[in-house]
Amino acid sequence: MVPFKYYVVLSLIIFSIGLLGVLLRKNLIIVLVSFEIIMNGLMIFLASVSYYTKDVQGYILVFFLLALAAVEAGVGLTLVVLVYRKLKRIYTDEVNYYRG
Amino acid sequence: MILEMIVFIYLSLGMIIPGILAIISKNPVHAVLWVLVLILHQAFMLFTLGSEFLTAVQIIVYAGAVIVLFLFVVYMINLKREEIWKVFVKKSPLGFVIFLIFIFFFLKSLTFLTALSPHFKAHLPYDLTQGTNLWWIARYLFTHFLFQFELVGVLLLVVVLGAVFLLRKLKEVEGGSL
Repeated sequence: MVPFKYYVVLSLIIFSIGLLGVLLRKNLIIVLVSFEIIMNGLMIFLASVSYYTKDVQGYILVFFLLALAAVEAGVGLTLVVLVYRKLKRIYTDEVNYYRG
Repeated sequence: MILEMIVFIYLSLGMIIPGILAIISKNPVHAVLWVLVLILHQAFMLFTLGSEFLTAVQIIVYAGAVIVLFLFVVYMINLKREEIWKVFVKKSPLGFVIFLIFIFFFLKSLTFLTALSPHFKAHLPYDLTQGTNLWWIARYLFTHFLFQFELVGVLLLVVVLGAVFLLRKLKEVEGGSL
């Protein structure tokens, strides 16, 4: 059986990759994709906790996270399309329409 | 034991390498397709973590719906080739500092968590001799978490209505103002 610590480290690495994508990328679509990567890291962590403690709560939280990831993708992509229609660009350091 | 480690190492490399390639690739289509590779590997990692139901839901929801939604938006926005040259933001050192602060707290929480993990107790335990994983998930989901389940359903409905409302309203405003 693979130790529990390995799964925690793996989820941490994937969370970090997603966090780097959110903080450093310019393209708004790839920022949203990086949020999906972050949620995948959380899912591995919750499922491994559930597997090692014989507890069903982690699986149920993964199920809710899947639904919330779909919700987040829907709202985020709607906002990306709105920003693109308004400003014709979707780069995070160029979208400064509401800057005071 | 050794086979489990080999499968774990393969699946983790199959998640880490496409993740890195997704956040450094210039073309958004390539990034979304690398995330698709990551998601398929993660689905089979959920299978090795003992949940067949979540594997199926992961493939259906992510690979079937979310990735297709991303690809539609990428095709709809249609950026020009020269605009996708510089990938990272100008203030990327600041973002990197924030990332290092996060990593510091992650490592602190990692030592805390690994010290705590032998004392984990199951609040909603399940026994695989009495029913499959899907049976236990459904049992707790429709009794213990019923309110949250309904709430997620309402949330999905609100998102659909909100997306339609936002995109329609802007079109009317554009048509009225121009």
